[in-house]
Amino acid sequence: MPCRLTPLIRRAVLSKGRHRQSRRLFATHSNNDEWDIVIVGGGPNGLALASALVASQPIRESLRIALVEAADLDKVRQWTPDSDTYSNRVSSITNASKDFMQKIGCWTHVDRHRTNPIAEMQVWDGVSDSRITFSASDMKHQVNAEIDGVKAIAHMTENLNIQCGLLRNLAERGAVSIIDKVKVSQIVREQKEGGGWPLVHTSDGRVLRTRLLVGADGFNSPVRAYAGIESFGWSYDTRAIVATLFHPPRGLGLHVPNTTAYQRFLPTGPIAFLPLTSTASSLVWSTKPDLAEAISKSDPAVLATMVNAAFRLPEISMRHLHHFLLGETATIDALLEEVRWRERSHDIDPHSAYSTFTSTSQDGIPPGDYDSIPPIVTSIQPGSIASFPIRFNHAESYIGESDEGARTALIGDAAHTIHPLAGQGLNMGLADADALAACVHNAVVLGNDIGSRTALIPYARARYFENHKLLAATDKLHKLYSTTLGPVVWARSVGLEVVNELDSVKEALMMSAGGNSSSSYDPSPANRSNAGDSLWPMAARGVEVLSGTFDTAKLVGKGLGGLAASNVTKLLSSYAKR
Amino acid sequence: MRLQGTSKHCALVIAGVRRSRRPLPQHPRHSSTSTINADEISHFSRLSSQWWDERGEFALLHKMNPVRVQFVRGKLLEAARDDAVSGHEELEIERNDNAGRTLDGLDVLDVGCGGGLLSESLSRLGARTVGVDASASNIAIASMHASLDPWFSNATPSSSTPQRKYLEYRHASAEDLVQEPKRFDVVCSMEVLEHVDNPAGFLRSCAELVKPGGHLFLSTISRTPLSYLLTIFAAEQALRLVAPGTHTYNKFVKPSELVDFFCKPVSSSESKPWITRLYDGSPTRREAEVRGIVYVPWKGEWMLAPRGAPGATACNYLFWVRKPLDC
Ligand SMILES: Cc1cc2nc3c(=O)[nH]c(=O)nc-3n(C[C@H](O)[C@H](O)[C@H](O)COP(=O)(O)OP(=O)(O)OC[C@H]3O[C@@H](n4cnc5c(N)ncnc54)[C@H](O)[C@@H]3O)c2cc1C
Ligand SMILES: C[S@@+](CC[C@H](N)C(=O)[O-])C[C@H]1O[C@@H](n2cnc3c(N)ncnc32)[C@H](O)[C@@H]1O
Repeated sequence: MPCRLTPLIRRAVLSKGRHRQSRRLFATHSNNDEWDIVIVGGGPNGLALASALVASQPIRESLRIALVEAADLDKVRQWTPDSDTYSNRVSSITNASKDFMQKIGCWTHVDRHRTNPIAEMQVWDGVSDSRITFSASDMKHQVNAEIDGVKAIAHMTENLNIQCGLLRNLAERGAVSIIDKVKVSQIVREQKEGGGWPLVHTSDGRVLRTRLLVGADGFNSPVRAYAGIESFGWSYDTRAIVATLFHPPRGLGLHVPNTTAYQRFLPTGPIAFLPLTSTASSLVWSTKPDLAEAISKSDPAVLATMVNAAFRLPEISMRHLHHFLLGETATIDALLEEVRWRERSHDIDPHSAYSTFTSTSQDGIPPGDYDSIPPIVTSIQPGSIASFPIRFNHAESYIGESDEGARTALIGDAAHTIHPLAGQGLNMGLADADALAACVHNAVVLGNDIGSRTALIPYARARYFENHKLLAATDKLHKLYSTTLGPVVWARSVGLEVVNELDSVKEALMMSAGGNSSSSYDPSPANRSNAGDSLWPMAARGVEVLSGTFDTAKLVGKGLGGLAASNVTKLLSSYAKR
Repeated sequence: MRLQGTSKHCALVIAGVRRSRRPLPQHPRHSSTSTINADEISHFSRLSSQWWDERGEFALLHKMNPVRVQFVRGKLLEAARDDAVSGHEELEIERNDNAGRTLDGLDVLDVGCGGGLLSESLSRLGARTVGVDASASNIAIASMHASLDPWFSNATPSSSTPQRKYLEYRHASAEDLVQEPKRFDVVCSMEVLEHVDNPAGFLRSCAELVKPGGHLFLSTISRTPLSYLLTIFAAEQALRLVAPGTHTYNKFVKPSELVDFFCKPVSSSESKPWITRLYDGSPTRREAEVRGIVYVPWKGEWMLAPRGAPGATACNYLFWVRKPLDC
């Protein structure tokens, strides 16, 4: 075939000489600070992402990374707490999250004297008293569940301990520029043909131009707003009261380790007792805003009394105490008198653990039922009472979808905010950090543009649905338990719903969130972490956990007749077959 | 022209399917632009502004890119390991690979670079990359896109500017470059072969641009009923994932035809072929390799098929061949 030249080509061919002379290595840039990744937010998730990124050698050696945080991070770096006081912001860290932190080299920087294993969780329905127990010994195949010979479902630790460990890890690696005490004041899109990059304006007058902008900037995420990512959610009519609680050792003279977490679902919201040391534990009590406000304003002894009552008294009495506290006469003495009266009228044995008054004055022998409820709270760490609004929120996507939002990704609370009842918010964020870092690593070793959609899509794919499942399960649990409606309570009490809950409580409390791949920085395709593949071990583990709790489920149905037990059995075995 | 091509396609399919294997079409070498098909070039020129829309016309190519780079990277690492005399010393290329600079110091040519998807990636991995294309507007788009990226800009490096990578675009054809003295460690030409006239002449030019001991990487589409179904019928006509007229069935080249081509001396100036033996029709791992690359719709990703996976090369495939040191 003869060579045909269209006019276009002819012109092109003729002008080739000129092209050759003008071969160029592209225009010079303005004097912006050029960055490959700018992370907005130095909360636990932003710091975890930074650490995870620089744990990868190719990332460390090739990318310029900055993290901007409004607060003064020196306060976190120089965190030197007294050995017997604890921050009121604590989290339960799943084993998956702990593995992730080990992998990125930060767990060794976490103060181990200030972490506490949770070996068992007891969760019960405040209305029907149906109870489920999870124990670390149920997790037969979970690797790394054991530290110092203690098998743990999770570890409690202060958020500050984690942030401090992450900062030390970052200081050691030295590959991230941390810009703190500086607020992001504005983010704009550079106006350039072919698609501008994000320009991050800071309160100290700098402009950071970045290839990839990550929002780890919490619930009110400015990055999310810049990227035009809508989010879906609501505020629950609930606030979480947090405080550090002091109490005698569990089991008194028996010195049983304080490694059981307790959570009771009251119609006003769940109350959780999370062990920190043998004599200190952390409270997360989700309740109505008016009650939260009344308690925050009262004598700390009021909170202590209410906490003891909330784990012990029947639900109907809790309702009365709630009203009582909102009345004018709510002094501590009046409250104690009220509780005493209610115990008597419910026929609570003064020698049982269910009595607030006698179990503290023992001679070292605990009541026989001591392990079904937390120890009696005797005092509250001064200044540790605070409360937070509770929200449900999920961003519509984790990466900027429009041209305007190009080169952005969200992690942690910027992407999702969850009810604290399952203690998963931070764990989900850490799993996000793990997945996003893996994605960036894979892009770097393949020469991909780390800000491109092609590079970021696997991150969204790995995390969105996983987080969505947890958000939905937790929301469902909250709603299910906020009702005192007869039929629902009946269903809960005979174990019908309990099975569904088992499923989602288990999922929510024990295993789902957290770094999910031990091999995320292995770029070989066979090992590339992938949402689809990781479902299998997860599903398998789910069945494992369920069969482990099988006996407990039967116990739940105890005394409720064959109906409940057989339903539980049927559903459990159908789940196991799935 | 191309847009009226439907009936033309059908006719060609029948002809193509019947003739199962053929030598690569050749034309006497008469002009420096002999492999350029003008219709093809104007087709791509028309689409040029869309090169970097990751969800647009070239979405599938964007998704394919990391897998192509994975193949290139893997093959170069493998060859370097084979070359290493002693297995004990840590290889330079592996050191570079661990630092995300696998191609550091290599001269790489990307023939038919289009918007520069592959060129940018190769350059980021450290290659001194030259991208050439027969379409001036593609070169313009590629250059503009690279100018957004400080890694490719020529500002003087300072503490607040990042590392420098080498990337150069030229409006030229492979034949033009043959006239120049410069030769390359690696020559890539991805998704181009199915768009050229005189594929044999085109391959000869690409091959000539490779330094002795260097590598040639190609990716293209095989000529099978399946490839017709997927690339022309489904992608262009039924689903409109790709502009109609993008592909012409009888220009598709089978892997075996590429292998055959390199089983003979590539040009009169070379004394021996690049592929010296075949086992069951397949070359040895050190001389050449054909790997299928498969789109998995439910994952939205391309996957490199395992070596020798049955049927995997019936549509899109990657091809690597190494130029002997003494040829
Ligand atoms: C009561 C309660 C109990 C909880 N218990 C648990 C638990 O047991 N387990 C668990 O896993 N999770 C728990 N969570 C959730 C967990 O605390 C959060 O998910 C986690 O702290 C979110 O971290 P983050 O880094 O994403 O966001 P944040 O901690 O909100 O950090 C965002 C950071 O961005 C910075 N920032 C924002 N805007 C700007 C700006 N414009 N410029 C500069 N910096 C900016 C802020 O200063 C802040 O430091 C609990 C939450 C609550 C409320
Ligand atoms: C399908 S595109 C592939 C682009 C690029 N290699 C990629 O894979 O991202 C084919 C490209 O080859 C170019 N092309 C076609 N024939 C050519 C030739 N003979 N010489 C150089 N470029 C050619 C076209 O202009 C077009 O940009």
